[in-house]
Amino acid sequence: MRIAGVKTFDWRLVAMVWTALFAAVPVASAQTTGQGQGLADMAPYRETIPGTGVSFEMIPVPGGTVEVTGPAGTTSVEVGPLWFGATEITWDAYDIFSLSLATEPVDPAADAVARPSRPYGTPDYGWGHAGFPAMSVTLAAAEAFCEWLSLVTGHRYRLPTEAEWLHAATLAAGGLPMSAERADEIAWHAGNAGGRTHAVADREPDALGLYDLFGNVAEWVVSDDGSPVTRGGSFRSPQAEVAAGARAEQDPSWTERDPQLPSSRWWLSDGPFVGFRVVREPGPLPGTGG
Amino acid sequence: MKANAGRHFTRREFVHTTAAAATAALVLPGGLMASGTRRADVIRVGVIGCGGRGSGAIRDHCRANTDVEIVAIGDLFPDRLEQALRNLNQVAQRDEDFASKFRVTEDSVFTGFDAYQRVLEQDIDLVILATPPGFRPLHIAAAVEAGKHIFTEKPVAVDAAGVRSVLASYELALQKGLAIVAGTQRRHDLSYRAVIERIHDGAIGEITGGQVYWNQAGLWHNAPRPEWSDTEWQIRNWLYFTWLSGDHIVEQHVHNIDVANWVMGTHPIRAVGMGGRQSRTAPEFGHIYDHFAVDFEYPNGVHIMSMARQVDGTAGFVGERFFGTNGRTNAETRIERLDGTLVYEYDGDDPNAYVQEHADLVASIRAGQPINELRQVAESTLTAIMGREAAYTGAEVTWDQMLAADQDLMPPEIRFGPLEVPPVAVPGTTKLERRWLEGWA
Repeated sequence: MRIAGVKTFDWRLVAMVWTALFAAVPVASAQTTGQGQGLADMAPYRETIPGTGVSFEMIPVPGGTVEVTGPAGTTSVEVGPLWFGATEITWDAYDIFSLSLATEPVDPAADAVARPSRPYGTPDYGWGHAGFPAMSVTLAAAEAFCEWLSLVTGHRYRLPTEAEWLHAATLAAGGLPMSAERADEIAWHAGNAGGRTHAVADREPDALGLYDLFGNVAEWVVSDDGSPVTRGGSFRSPQAEVAAGARAEQDPSWTERDPQLPSSRWWLSDGPFVGFRVVREPGPLPGTGG
Repeated sequence: MKANAGRHFTRREFVHTTAAAATAALVLPGGLMASGTRRADVIRVGVIGCGGRGSGAIRDHCRANTDVEIVAIGDLFPDRLEQALRNLNQVAQRDEDFASKFRVTEDSVFTGFDAYQRVLEQDIDLVILATPPGFRPLHIAAAVEAGKHIFTEKPVAVDAAGVRSVLASYELALQKGLAIVAGTQRRHDLSYRAVIERIHDGAIGEITGGQVYWNQAGLWHNAPRPEWSDTEWQIRNWLYFTWLSGDHIVEQHVHNIDVANWVMGTHPIRAVGMGGRQSRTAPEFGHIYDHFAVDFEYPNGVHIMSMARQVDGTAGFVGERFFGTNGRTNAETRIERLDGTLVYEYDGDDPNAYVQEHADLVASIRAGQPINELRQVAESTLTAIMGREAAYTGAEVTWDQMLAADQDLMPPEIRFGPLEVPPVAVPGTTKLERRWLEGWA
């Protein structure tokens, strides 16, 4: 099954964007530089979860240097080239992990990855399921999904670091700040989302060919100190706050109404605005013997 | 009133001793509850049932109130009790206020089938009841008998005999001036309260109908272990046995059915329904259904449609809708005209209703004006049971039939050992008036 609503994306367009961004424009002012290292070996590909018809698209993003401003000040961070998920991880993929839906026998190690508890309620809030971003998931759950996905596919998937996400977002925004009109085209935010998530890839792709990097659900990243942090803003963020700089640290309000003690390791009782996308480091493409 | 009269709970002697040794390191030393240490302005709280929800209720009770102390806790299983103590101690380590309120000692920690009696024997003013629902009528009766204020989780019974027992406890609690709040927390949610107050003031005109839903994926279960008896396996998987949970329409969907009764201002007069068991057919899921659809008829011919499903990979939705001659509402946040024009949207404070319900309970005790929600939650529980029975039996079931039914689903004796699983109900065959294993199929 192709992810509902993903428009066919032309890799040549990305190449053109690249030429425009990194050949013609002085990029230092955009707070990031990209050398495009390793990209020659990387092409977009589609990963299929074995034993299911569920697949998702991965898009190469060149490495570079990015200025990361965090609680400890601003640092300059070098990041390597990566594949980024074209979309946020959808329920279609998450359910296979969460509900153990795969029909083919998988690596016993994958079977051994702890699975989320069964939620008492509807973490999708009834807003939509197939093709919609998985949401209300904790950082630990997103990380467990990546571990499981790596074992079942044989490719090492993980969450992006904060620097990697910021670097990609800076490129994706095509220069800062993003105009209100552009934000409207590529992002679901408080001004256009109607108070809920939407199917992934329903807005226009950004300059990298990624969908919903800004808005829809905010995305888990791996922060320097391991504290739970999301980036990109969500359907609840004002339009001006769905941007590369949008950053939120998990606070107690995200689990406020969990009636259980301990609060769920897996589900945010009050975090419908939180999801994630995966990245992968350079390596062989699926189906090439890797 | 014969409910509970014939139910024996056999204590497994070694359970209590084992627990005492293992939990000693997790609680305060004994002797702290000696007379003379009691402060008159402090409400002393005992807890019966310390799983995830009971532990959460302890946390929420302490967040909601000043001058309360949790002083005794009990659970059937020693390992569950120890886990609860570990979790609560973790909260105490990072939360000084909670630590000052969590005052359980090695003398006030109990396990086994009689743990509820031991907790009620302590010097407590209020008890939190959070065991599986099948035990609730017994625990409510004992708590009212002992003169304790109560926070009781929902539902409050699983069968007609249990509801009748709870209604009798309600009358006695009224006479004794006891405060009782139930875990139907929407009743304490300011947003629901604001919208439903407006519905009652005529904001959508005369109510003409509605729908209530709790549709979601399947829930947890615990695989059997060789050291567990049948009884222990069933109680540790209580969701899947009607005598323990009431089935998911009662255990879970009672929340939305309670909203329907609240909005309508009364209970329905009859139900016609259907349901079955299509995805959770394996023995590990006991004998309950995985889906229900019930038409509840209220006075004046108003019909509220109810749906409850626990099936993986299906559309999920939890909520309510009501329609009137002059508008429609989700009962929680919005009131609209029938053409969709917004009439009212709640934008006030939204405190956590799981905490607020404990604040409201204690405030009512301190004000000398005890809230007593037991009748209301017993009626919502019986409404859900009526819906279940309409589906189980296939018959039209009236309120009066349901309330009077000779239906007692508890095993005649509950002790650790062999225990059969009742059959799956078969519409057209299963009888409304039935016992533990009799009258199902």
